[in-house]
Amino acid sequence: MVNHLLPETLEEALEALARKQHLLFAGGTDLMVQKRAWAGLPRNFEHPVLFTSRIAKLNFIEKRSDHLAVGATCSLEMMLEYPDTPDLFKTIIGEMASPGIRNHATLAGNIANASPAGDTLVGLYLYDATIVLKSLRGERLVPIADFITGVRKIDLAQDEMITEIRIPHQDFTHIDYVKVGPRKADAISKIAFAGAAKTNDLTVSDIRAAFGAVFKTVLRSPATEAMLKGMRIADIKADLASICEAYARLLQPIDDQRSNKEYRKAVAINLLARFIKSL
Amino acid sequence: MAKIEFTLNGEVRQVDIDPTIRLLDYLREDLDLTGTKEGCGEGECGACSVLFDAEVANSCLVPMGNVAGHDIVTIEYFSRTERYRILEKAFLEQGAVQCGFCTPGMIIAAESLLRKKPKPSDAEIKIGLSGNLCRCTGYNMIIAAIRQAAKEGEGLW
Amino acid sequence: MSETISQSLMRLDAPDKIAGRAKYVADLKMKDCLFALTVRSPIAKGKILQVSLPAMPEGYQVVDHRDIPGENIVKIIYDDQVIFPVDEVKYIGQPILLVVGPDKRIVERLAKAIKIEFREEQPVFAWENSVIRYQFTKGEGDAPFASAANTISYTYTTGYQEQAYMEPQGFIGHYDRGKIVLVGSIQCPYYVKNALIRALACDPDKVRVIQAAVGGAFGGKEEYPSLIACELAVAINKIKKPIKLIFEREEDMLVTTKRHPAQIKLAAAIGADGAIRALRAHVGIDAGADIGLSGVVLSRAMIAATGAYTIDNLAVSGDVYLTNTVPTGAFRGFGAPQMLFAIEMFIEHIAKDLGRDPLAYRLDYLAKQHDKTSTSGVFRDPILMPEMVEKAMAMSGYAAKSERYPREAGYRGIGMSFFLHGCGFTGSGEAKTIKAKVKLEKDSEDLVHILIAAVDMGQGVHTAMRKLVASIMEIPIETVIYDYPDTDQVPDSGPTVASRTMMIVGGLVARAARALKESFIPGQHQVAEEQYVQPDYIKWDEDTMQGDAYPAYSWGVTVVEVAVDPHTYQVNLEHAWSVYDCGKAIDELMVLGQADGGLAQGIAYGCLEVMEHDQGKIRQKNLTDYIIPTASDVPAMTTMLIDNPYPLGPYGAKGVGELTLVGGAPAVAKAIEMAINKRITKIPATPEAIMELIKHG
Repeated sequence: MVNHLLPETLEEALEALARKQHLLFAGGTDLMVQKRAWAGLPRNFEHPVLFTSRIAKLNFIEKRSDHLAVGATCSLEMMLEYPDTPDLFKTIIGEMASPGIRNHATLAGNIANASPAGDTLVGLYLYDATIVLKSLRGERLVPIADFITGVRKIDLAQDEMITEIRIPHQDFTHIDYVKVGPRKADAISKIAFAGAAKTNDLTVSDIRAAFGAVFKTVLRSPATEAMLKGMRIADIKADLASICEAYARLLQPIDDQRSNKEYRKAVAINLLARFIKSL
Repeated sequence: MAKIEFTLNGEVRQVDIDPTIRLLDYLREDLDLTGTKEGCGEGECGACSVLFDAEVANSCLVPMGNVAGHDIVTIEYFSRTERYRILEKAFLEQGAVQCGFCTPGMIIAAESLLRKKPKPSDAEIKIGLSGNLCRCTGYNMIIAAIRQAAKEGEGLW
Repeated sequence: MSETISQSLMRLDAPDKIAGRAKYVADLKMKDCLFALTVRSPIAKGKILQVSLPAMPEGYQVVDHRDIPGENIVKIIYDDQVIFPVDEVKYIGQPILLVVGPDKRIVERLAKAIKIEFREEQPVFAWENSVIRYQFTKGEGDAPFASAANTISYTYTTGYQEQAYMEPQGFIGHYDRGKIVLVGSIQCPYYVKNALIRALACDPDKVRVIQAAVGGAFGGKEEYPSLIACELAVAINKIKKPIKLIFEREEDMLVTTKRHPAQIKLAAAIGADGAIRALRAHVGIDAGADIGLSGVVLSRAMIAATGAYTIDNLAVSGDVYLTNTVPTGAFRGFGAPQMLFAIEMFIEHIAKDLGRDPLAYRLDYLAKQHDKTSTSGVFRDPILMPEMVEKAMAMSGYAAKSERYPREAGYRGIGMSFFLHGCGFTGSGEAKTIKAKVKLEKDSEDLVHILIAAVDMGQGVHTAMRKLVASIMEIPIETVIYDYPDTDQVPDSGPTVASRTMMIVGGLVARAARALKESFIPGQHQVAEEQYVQPDYIKWDEDTMQGDAYPAYSWGVTVVEVAVDPHTYQVNLEHAWSVYDCGKAIDELMVLGQADGGLAQGIAYGCLEVMEHDQGKIRQKNLTDYIIPTASDVPAMTTMLIDNPYPLGPYGAKGVGELTLVGGAPAVAKAIEMAINKRITKIPATPEAIMELIKHG
């Protein structure tokens, strides 16, 4: 008999994870689809499920001195309604899935699902978010870009769980986000683009671009960003074609049932170009 | 199996159940509450919408394990309320019902929306309904019905 | 009373639906019910060499072709679809056998444990195997091409469209003292019953088919349910217990019929004056692995070859191709949406190629009363298209916008489609095949029972028929009873398809109601029956496809305005305006509901809904990947109905259900065409396709 768990404390949960492999389950809005079964039957989980929803300690969202901390069971809707959630994340969540799903889906779940098209991921990459992992062995802080290692692959040991996500405060002067879905709501992205920059009158002190659904993970180019930092806005704009070219070389979109690679690449670059022109 | 305690349609229940069973199946199979429909089984169509702590949820994506400690209301119970009567009248008068398969879910989504936004704009209504697919009406009559309900039910939400 | 027939009534079936009380088939339960799961072909073509079953526990059984007491054929129109294959499979997803038993867990485990050994064969996906070919000509046919100053030709292609009714297909059935009773989500109770009689080789009184509440159909529950019903009836006949067979969404999308993909080649012989001297059309449609209804779909497409226009010389041909893909079938419009898209774009493209004003050019060819139809029949009734076009243009600001948008090159466009839809079955179908019968029965309490096989699948026929009878008989609508059709109770009034229900069945019900009214004796049991008789001036020759293909036509004009995003190529639907002539609305709100829903499907067919197969496997297998509009995607719609009563329809009503879909795709395609200044010849015009057009023309 499979023994599913509904712990009420983090300690209970971590002890269980230390003992044996479990499937961590928060809102379940992705897992219930992936593990679907014939109507009326239990879902097809290959490991015992550890439901995190009862762990009250993980259900929080809190503004701290240098970051916003989002607990692992905080729903996206709760995050949307929190006054200090950055506007970018409000926009992303507002366009994501549907109200019924947002009421249950979590940021932690979106991260752990590690889909290249995961909606919140472009925002987390852009903001250099950090994932807090706990186990009986202790705590690890892992940058999002290191935590997600590939399509549906994450750096999570069997005895660890995500307890919170830290989104650093940023003072961008420009922010842009476009979700290109097959329809306006309730859709998986074909492409997602997020851009941010900090400029003074003439120069750029910080500039970032994150692309979703055009690579095995969300894609940022630290090298290109480093090169652009400190440049004059006018020079960046003058150099638009070669910047786009640099990114175009990095994108590796695929053909699937939702779109094709030519479209994904071209539109991603169009959106990047528009962002740069808007500086 | 797990012991799960929750409130359903105003009554506290304790069940001993596999926590990976969907709330949808529990409602339909165990309790014969068939007003909650299965249209897709993957949270896309909204026919299975229920109120979960007064907010819309896809019962096909909610395992019983996540129901513990929460308050679930289905269309069968919601249909006894005054707010339902306002919505029903508006749906009837605006011609918002055709095949009816999506309709209970639409009503639940409308209730959830109006609780948060008693005077929604058309754009807010569309977002509020965006998780509920309808193939018959083209939505405009449903949107009009919610507009009408918000007006006629002013003060109820 | 007739002045007020269009006044809207609140739908009588709606309160139960809103409250979740209406019972759809999945909601029905029976004591000791078993569950059936279908084991399907994983390959597109091949021979079945061996089926190895696991040890079957007590109470669990497999049902396959050996259990069919009658013919292994699903009676539809063309007898080529088997219930369960004997030794060969023709498409991925073809049902091979059922596993039946009381515990779903075990049924599922057994189904997975069944090993079927195949010898795979080379499947055919190209359109080369024509199994039906039709052709007809009008006037001089294509002879004028020989002397034409100029020939313009284009090829138009359309993809699959999935009905995507919200309720997946299914049946529940049981054995009742020698009789098999099925309750299901169906459009055509007698199609199912007749299929069962043949599969079971039984007397008609040994099968009974009852409609459950139907959660949308759109043609998808016209012929396909007969296959499921035959499978299930064979199982019930064998096991003699209640069995439930309900499709999951994914199963439904992978294996049920869809709209036929089509390729339509059009050529016009143009005279020195720029006039169209003749039109040549070839329509190819993909039937998938079974012919089924495809011949009828092809003929409707071909008959619509000239759309809402009159062209004097025509040569039309068409082929139904078999491929090793999921069978295609009925879907609202039934061949017409493909053809209407093609011809609407073509006339526009001719005008553009000739440097003519497209609107003026198209108006010149609009059909007029007394014109000959494409099949050399006659448009007998008044055609109000000029007035309708004028109204649509005024409502939408078409003239100013269509002048401004191309000039501004701001990725905005407006498109207008003209269209018609033949009401009722094609040709002599009503008179020779269907022979509809209706019955009204008044009981001793003076309650009038409408006994017809017409199904309310959301379109409102339940309310409309009761309203019709109450109105004619001048009795309260509460005293008119119309239960879900049950073949043990109702005569065969034909299938609920082809925009025939109000015009044909309603026409007969109206006659019966008048007869009952005239002979009304309070407190006495009385019956009035009517049978369809074709008006004798309607002539149709099946072999040559000449004559009156339809007794009447409904007409429409749709305008769609779009904005195309220059960075993402996404289409924003700004607004849609339509004007329809469906004779007389029996209930205005219900007709407007059909208008909104049909147009949403038609527009989405044109720009949103992508379905393709890859080596015979459908790629968009659920509602996540197959994109239908949400509330945020549909445009606001403005609809106007024009009265143009048809003498033989009840209160003048003609067909409405399909008309509202057929104009959507060409209107949105023309709007996109204007926005991007490229020729659109393929739908759906997705952002991917639009990008391709912008970049490479």
